[in-house]
Formats: sequence, structure tokens, C-alpha cells
Amino acid sequence: MNNRSEQLVPHFDRLPEPDQITQMATWLAQAGLDSLELTNEAAGLKLRIRVGQADTGLPAAQAAAPQAHAGAGHVAVRTPYFGHLCLTHPLRDAPFAPVGTKVAQGDVVALLTLDSLQVPVTAPAAGTVVDVVGQPGALVGYGATVMHIQPD
Amino acid sequence: MSETPRFSRVLIANRGEIALRIQRACRQLGLETVAVYSEADADSRHVQEADVALCIGPAAAARSYLDADGLLLAARLTGAQAIHPGYGFLSENADFADAVEAAGLTFIGPTGASIRMMGDKITAKRAMRDAGVPCVPGSDGPLPADMHAVKTIALQVGFPVIVKASGGGGGRGMRVVEREADLAQAVALTAKEAQQAFGNPTLYLERFMQKPRHVEIQVLCDTHGTALWLGARDCSLQRRHQKVLEEASAPGIAPQTIAEIGERCAEACRRIGYRGAGTFEFLYEDGVFAFIEMNTRVQVEHPITEETTGIDIVAGQLRIAQGEPLGVAQADIPLLGHSIECRLNAEDPFTFMPSPGTITRWDLPGGPGIRVDTHVVAGYTVQPYYDSLIGKIISHGATRAEAIARMQVALAEMKVEGVSTNIALHRDLLADPDFRRGGVDIHYLERWLAQRTAP
Repeated sequence: MNNRSEQLVPHFDRLPEPDQITQMATWLAQAGLDSLELTNEAAGLKLRIRVGQADTGLPAAQAAAPQAHAGAGHVAVRTPYFGHLCLTHPLRDAPFAPVGTKVAQGDVVALLTLDSLQVPVTAPAAGTVVDVVGQPGALVGYGATVMHIQPD
Repeated sequence: MSETPRFSRVLIANRGEIALRIQRACRQLGLETVAVYSEADADSRHVQEADVALCIGPAAAARSYLDADGLLLAARLTGAQAIHPGYGFLSENADFADAVEAAGLTFIGPTGASIRMMGDKITAKRAMRDAGVPCVPGSDGPLPADMHAVKTIALQVGFPVIVKASGGGGGRGMRVVEREADLAQAVALTAKEAQQAFGNPTLYLERFMQKPRHVEIQVLCDTHGTALWLGARDCSLQRRHQKVLEEASAPGIAPQTIAEIGERCAEACRRIGYRGAGTFEFLYEDGVFAFIEMNTRVQVEHPITEETTGIDIVAGQLRIAQGEPLGVAQADIPLLGHSIECRLNAEDPFTFMPSPGTITRWDLPGGPGIRVDTHVVAGYTVQPYYDSLIGKIISHGATRAEAIARMQVALAEMKVEGVSTNIALHRDLLADPDFRRGGVDIHYLERWLAQRTAP
């Protein structure tokens, strides 16, 4: 794992596998960091891992994000595949994105587990989680709504 | 059954009327069903009736009904121990059948090896010829260089013959020869063209069937050495290789002739260790049967065979997959009366363009000898992503005339609004004198349509 990650970070030419992302998220959490962003403009790749430390304040960049338009509708967070819904990070007790969480577009807000596979469910827009409708552990289908976001 | 069944929950890897048909058979056998569906089919009837329903992807079939890995994952997640592929989609994909079994699940169909053998036309034909199933009479290999030898072959095969380039295909590199006198020149010319077009002058020849009918034999084989043939179907009414109306049995072909060909098909199944339901498709002309291909799955038109034999083919597939013996002997299978199937498509009756949309009225026919297999209910929306089949009306009667009469009434009763259908086409076909006489060839419908649209 260490060898793989050493190669992965300097040569960011493709997106890491889900288990590598899981490992990186664990390291972030252990180090007390709340996000990591890797960008490779030449390859058009951008990876942002945010682990949302339970007792940490919102990142400055997000705190400074524009306020949501008044009256804007909620955006559904929908599953990109089917699987068992996991709202809590498997390695930690904290939920990915409980009600009230500020999320950026592309943030992982839940996981789908299929045997050993884990598929991230990402926020379609930046905003605040206003409700979580998915039941943890439930078998959910493709395109199921798991939560709603009030866009910024 | 005394042994523990191999499976108690079946994943139905299909959609539409066949998914509902499979679900009915499962439920009648006390098996639970898992409906996997695309987003576009969320409101489908079999989805609502399933013990477990799981949306596995978007409307595009490549990411739902054709997603082999996704289907296997879905089976694991839902606890299904068997997969029924239906027809189309992955039903004749040998790799999928192998992957299902490799995952420790039961594939409700033949082995991957059987599917692979029948998927390749050359190996299929060789296996059938070895098993005594008649194929198109021909040279059985490359033509010799000696023209006298070629003539001898052609006379044995019988004129007219078609001379074909081994490397050809798609209608190119072939020439029909009506008379012996024209043979030498045709062979020389076709060889020259084949050399120029395909870089290979090798030729073979076959009997040219000018006005063949499409006649097929249904088989059902268990894993205990029993292989049954269930009579013949005539599916000659086709448009662009799509069957429109089918009937069982084949009009005007003696039962003894069908029995002989049926027994050869059953014997071929025993020889290759075939398992499950299958169909041998033949061209038939002037008393000659010529094997075209074998379909290694349940067919759309299977109900007309069910009507004339009283055998539930889909339940048979499930029982065979459980490892049960068929428990029926060939002599026990009756061929009772006559059955006709009209495929109902949501399509323009003249242009045949698909007609997707919401069905606002859906009045079904009924009465003795009428069966309707459909997933559609009033308010159902016909999706543009899949084929346009919205149901099948199947009539059965003691005689062909009675089956036709019952179908005519059924078509008159059937009321569909909201989408266009081909009901009027079926009505016209059933009134057509040539159809009523029986035994039209595979080109008949296209000719008939061309005349209909002519000014």
C-alpha cells in the first residue's frame, strides 16, 4: 500500500482506485487534516478528498462561498450505481455528510458497498445538506435519492 | 422433488412481457423473483410484483440489461441463486452464461459451451450435419478445380444452385445458377470476382432456395438424457427478418415429416448434451428442410407451442435448471389443434417507425382460446429505448380456421389508444387469401407490403 501511494501522489495521471482513496482518507483523518486536493491540469484531473473532522470548523474557502439564492430548490443527491448505502465512513464513526454539512460539488457524501467494492456518492452541487432520506445499510438502486442539498 | 432445490430465488435479467412471463412461471413453482430494471422501466408490472426489485442502471441497455458484471453483482446483493436471461440481451452470450456459473449461480439455459457452438454458424452447421440434421444441400467444402467434378456436385445438389465465395458475405460474391449450361461460366466469373474482391478465389455451392418458408422446431431437454421436440412453428411472415405473425403447426406439412425432423433435432440435442429450451430454425421448400441456426433460449413465439402441446416451456426451463427430470415421454406429447400468435408492436402501421408514448386505452380481448401475454396496462408509457413489442395475442382452436376466426375477433376487441399499433396489419393479413390458404414464403409479407403501398 505504501509503495502504491508513493507512486500515486507524485504521478497523478489517473484517478486512484476506491480503496486507495479510502486509505488516503484514513491518513488524512489520522493526521488531523480535513481535506486534500490533487490537480493535474495537463491530464484534466482533479481529486479532492474531504474527511470533515467532526470538531473542526468549516474550511475557509467554503465559509467564504457565496450564499444560496433565496428560494432556490433543493438538489437531490442520487446514487450513481446500486448497492448497500453507507452514510458513515467505514473507518470512522462520523457520518460523511449529516444535515447541516457544507459540501462542495464532487464531495463524497455517502458510499455504496457491493461486496468488496465501494462506489462513492458525490454531491452534484455545492451547498448545505438539508435532509438525509436514505436508510443506512439499505439496498438502494441506481438513481435513488439519498439526501438533498440546498445549493449555495 | 425429493432433493433440495438448487435455487429458490431467481433473478430475471430482462424486461417487458418476457420478464413478466418468467416471473409468472417462477411464482407458480413457488420461487421468489428478483426484478432488476433500468430507470425507464421503474413502473413495469413485473417490477411491482417482484419479491425484490432493484434498479441497476439508466435506460441505456449497455448500462442495465446488458451489463453482465452489474447483473452478477445484483444477484449477489439480492440473494438470487439463479439467473433467467429471457430472450435478446444476454440470453445467447456464452461468456455471460459461463460467468454466472463461475459465480456459483445457476444459469437458466444451456451451457456456455453449447451457446458458443451454436453461435458460430460453421461449427453449428458441422455439428448438425454430424448429428443427421439436414442442412442446405451443397458441396460441403470448397469446389474442386475440375469443372466436370463441379457439374457432378451441382447435379447432385440440384438446380438452381447458388455459387458463393468462401471469403464473401453480406450478399456479395455470390451468383445464382439456374441451369447446368450456365454453370461453368458462372463459376469462372465468381472465382475471378472473389479473387478481386476478397483476395481468395475459393468457392462453394449450395442449393438455392427461392421461396422458402421459415419452419422451426422447439426442443426441451433435461439433464437426464431426455430430449423432446414439441412440434413445429411456421414463422414465415417476416419483415426485415423480424417475425410478425407465427403459427403452430406449419400448415400443409405432414405430421410425419415434422416428426422425422423433430426426432433428428432431439437426437442432435442428446449428442451435444444440450440442456434447456432451444429452437432449430429451418428453411423449408419443396419438402426439403435446411438448417439455418439454433436459438439457445426461449423464443418470443414460444406460447403457440405451449398452446398446442399443453407444456409450459418456461416452467420447463426452471425445472430443468433445478436438475429435475422432464418426466414426460415423446409419446405423451400431443399436438392439439392450431395456434396463432400476433405480435403487437407500438409502431406506425405504414412506416413501421416506433411509436413511443403513453397508452391511454388498453382493452384486452378474451374468450375461449385467447391468451394475451403483455406487460402493458392502461397508463403504461412505451419507452423509446427498447424494442416496440407491447404484447402478444395468442389464439388456439381445434382447427386452423377456428384459430384464425378467434384471432380475428380478438383483434377486433383489442383497443389501444395513445400509441399507434400494427393491429390493422394483423387484421389485413388474417383476411388475405394467400395467408388463409397457408404456407406463404418468407418473402411474402415484404411483397404484400410493397403492393399495399403502391398507388
